[in-house]
Amino acid sequence: MPTPPQISPVEDQERHLHDASGVVKAQAFQMKRALDKSKLMDALKNASAMLAELRTSLLSPKAYYELYMAVTDELRHLEVYLLEEFHKGRKVTDLYELVQYAGNIVPRLYLLITVGLVYIKTNTALRRDLLKDLVEMCRGVQHPLRGLFLRNYLLQCTRNVLPDSAEEDGDCPEGTIKDSIDFVLMNFAEMNKLWVRMQHQGHSRERQHREKEREELRILVGTNLVRLSQLEFVTLEKYQKLVLPGILEQVVSCRDAIAQEYLMECIIQVFPDEFHIQTLTPFLKSCAELEAGVNVKNIVISLMERLASFSQRVEAIGTEGTASVLRDVKLFEVFSDQVASIIANRQYLPIEDMVSLQVALVNLALKCYPDRVDYIDKVMLNSVEIFQRMGVEHIESHSQVARELQKLLKIPLDHYNNILVILKLKHYAALIQHLDFTGRKSLSIYILYSALDDETIIPSSEEVEQALTLLSTLVSDKNDPPTTSLDMEELAEEQCLLARFIHHFKADNPDDQFLILTTSRKILAVGGPQKIRHTLPPLVFHAYQLAFRYKNSDDDKWDKKCQKIFQFCHQTIMALVKAELAELPLRLFLQGALAIDQIKFENHETVAYEFMSQAFSLYEDEISDSKAQLAAITLIVGTLEQISCFSEESSEPLRTQCALAASKLLKKPDQCRGVATCSHLFWSGKSQATNGQEAHNGKRVVECLKKGLRIAKQCMDNSVQVQLFVELLNHYIYFFEKGNDQVSIQILNQVIIKIKEELPNLETSEETEQITKHFNNTLDHLRVRLEMPETDGVSYEGLEI
Amino acid sequence: MIHVSFSSSKFTAVAMASRKKVLLKVIILGDSSVGKTSLMNQYVNRKFSNQYKATIGADFLTKEVTVDDRSVTMQIWDTAGQERFQSLGVAFYRGADCCVLVFDVTAPNTFKSLDSWRDEFLVQASPREPENFPFVLLGNKVDLEPRSISSKRAQQWCQSKNNIPYFETSAKEALNVEQAFLAIAKNALAQQNSAVDLYNEFPDQIKLTYAQKPPSSGSSCC
Repeated sequence: MPTPPQISPVEDQERHLHDASGVVKAQAFQMKRALDKSKLMDALKNASAMLAELRTSLLSPKAYYELYMAVTDELRHLEVYLLEEFHKGRKVTDLYELVQYAGNIVPRLYLLITVGLVYIKTNTALRRDLLKDLVEMCRGVQHPLRGLFLRNYLLQCTRNVLPDSAEEDGDCPEGTIKDSIDFVLMNFAEMNKLWVRMQHQGHSRERQHREKEREELRILVGTNLVRLSQLEFVTLEKYQKLVLPGILEQVVSCRDAIAQEYLMECIIQVFPDEFHIQTLTPFLKSCAELEAGVNVKNIVISLMERLASFSQRVEAIGTEGTASVLRDVKLFEVFSDQVASIIANRQYLPIEDMVSLQVALVNLALKCYPDRVDYIDKVMLNSVEIFQRMGVEHIESHSQVARELQKLLKIPLDHYNNILVILKLKHYAALIQHLDFTGRKSLSIYILYSALDDETIIPSSEEVEQALTLLSTLVSDKNDPPTTSLDMEELAEEQCLLARFIHHFKADNPDDQFLILTTSRKILAVGGPQKIRHTLPPLVFHAYQLAFRYKNSDDDKWDKKCQKIFQFCHQTIMALVKAELAELPLRLFLQGALAIDQIKFENHETVAYEFMSQAFSLYEDEISDSKAQLAAITLIVGTLEQISCFSEESSEPLRTQCALAASKLLKKPDQCRGVATCSHLFWSGKSQATNGQEAHNGKRVVECLKKGLRIAKQCMDNSVQVQLFVELLNHYIYFFEKGNDQVSIQILNQVIIKIKEELPNLETSEETEQITKHFNNTLDHLRVRLEMPETDGVSYEGLEI
Repeated sequence: MIHVSFSSSKFTAVAMASRKKVLLKVIILGDSSVGKTSLMNQYVNRKFSNQYKATIGADFLTKEVTVDDRSVTMQIWDTAGQERFQSLGVAFYRGADCCVLVFDVTAPNTFKSLDSWRDEFLVQASPREPENFPFVLLGNKVDLEPRSISSKRAQQWCQSKNNIPYFETSAKEALNVEQAFLAIAKNALAQQNSAVDLYNEFPDQIKLTYAQKPPSSGSSCC
């Protein structure tokens, strides 16, 4: 017959536990009663019967633990009684032998431990020998579950009595720290053996179940390590020479993955950091010797994380001794070497685990050695080498490896909050290359956000070049997916980020700044029309600013340099023209012309003329929408009106050209407004001929406005016509007040009459209301002027309102 | 020696307690690194260390004290704050006479966890009268700055939980530790006295006592 199942089904557990607990309660009660009556033999008999319940094989570890707790709680009463009796001077010397006659080994050993403890407490001279005796005798229980709990009881009971004093020469029956270490290490080794043996008992199909139970029982084994860490005289020296080697020897030699993984983690958790930093090499060496199934990554990372935060704490508190130890230990080098050897020697270590180890290394370096950027770079290089060795490229963006790699790349960015430090990392860019396109792009966006949040200035062309290389997924079109699938809105958003970033390219020295601009353009120009429309304008504005910087500097070649800058701008804007953009380059040319006019370098008139004429030809050749045309011509007129550097021979054709273009607009109202706008060119426009003063050519002004009136009359829509008249009236009034003698009261009266005639014919509508209001406001203004003329203003005498 | 007579159970409890050494079980609970082990070490061994060592499972120290002229053995259970170190469950909650909840006054999260520690204890230990079970709250690490939980806030929490006694302690500077554990001992003792009549719930108790009454009454001393 096969062996019966050791553990009964879950539903039976409660019943078995309940039954056993009932017996425990009853026997405990009897035991306590017997104790009250000082009937020690009876009490021991009851205690033995109570303890016999712990011989069960029916309970799961958790249920057994409950039973064990109930039993040991009760045993404590026996212990208290015995202690009191001893203190009263009662001789029970034969007790230690007496309890050995208990029929079963499990109750016998529990009683032996309880009695032994009382002996030790009352006669410390027996301590060393008794401890040795007890830990040896527990070998008698070889059933894993029962043995583990028995030894846990031993460990618990002896907590208060373990010798914790320095080692002495000569014989010391009370025992020293050495005896405590031997005692716990032996108990630990025996418990670990029992625990490991569980793995190999029973049917293989119950393996999962068995492993779950082992996981539950692990704290019993770990408690041995806790006990060692609690001993005061386990000094660093003892730990290095006895404790750690003893534990590691047992861990490595047991060759059981569950035990190894747990115990290594346990060592890290229960012993203090001050010990760990002095024992890194033996610990990590053992890590490399663990079984293939052990997750060494987690162990190493957990140690690194603990020491990293320890280092920060020490830094914060400023404990000098520990801080210098930390410096001497070279944490980073040690871990870096050990990680390398783990990666090299452990087969089947998944790539994501290799990368996670690098992440932990970076965290360690940043926390312990924030100034050592070279450490970060070393990790980047290590990682590149790993990928190269494994032949991994274009890591798919949702894979585990990609997630770890993204983490690795983002940590330094988040830590330094400075993209310039990242640019110093020689291997960062190479590491990025191992991500696929999507991964690289999302990292680029992360980098941009970080740089913008930190408002980092990029101060040299080399750094600009490096930065843009990092961001190549956003800069070049090379790897873009086919345009059809492109989400234009998303693209615009990304490019706007890049454009904002470009505004942070600023060198201290103007010459360096120019170098930045030429470098940037070379790189950015490879982007397609959808990209350069966002990325080139910031360069052009940078360049205009730079020209002003030169003008205000004492650079004696400023003049030549400004010419070069505007040449650069011209080329840059032309690149946008080539990309079939029109309105944007037109505006950039006009902005340029304004800048040139103010800077007045040698030859500036020619350059300004070129910029204006480029704007014109864009207007003529490329802008076809009528609204856009009106907007463009208004801008051109406005720009021209501001510019004073042209000689008459340049400015005259430009003005005429404007007036002509305005009158050629497609729609009559547009024509009317365009022509009226042009009128200002002849009044407040300036040129060399007028010595930079306003031209005040009243005749040409009136010609423009008259032409406006003529065009307005041609409008078929009454309402539009009246609206235009009112607008023209305002132009007339403006010039009249400016002192243009070609505008007479008569003309004003004529226009007013004309409006008054037409206004009542309009249908009531919101528009009509607007027009009436505009007209009335205009009349109000005139009335005020008529009644209270300004002393040096023109006279409105004869005006009929 | 006396034993349970037919007199009232209250008399029994007092008689037993005065004669016999009392064993009190106290459980310390709270998030990891709030200082549970340090508080216990300060109280039992009068020692403190800045080194951080995680506790695994549960483990107790005992301390002999005198409370109201009574000799008491306090069994103080230090527990792991991290759940992963409690793989066998929390059977050691059973039979506790007092539960000490600890938080770190500089770490707000450890204060927020108090409710779940208390609830978990009541569920797992299932005391007979959960609403009257004695808890004591310790706000530890008052030597550290900056403080994030004011004593008013802690007291309000205590009031809302049926007036739990509250102590602000520093295990490092041995501040209030002695006073806190004395209060813990007193509360635990009061709890045990009120629970002693449990003995009388044993159906066979009276019968047995009755049967053996004559020999035991001889040594009666009160």
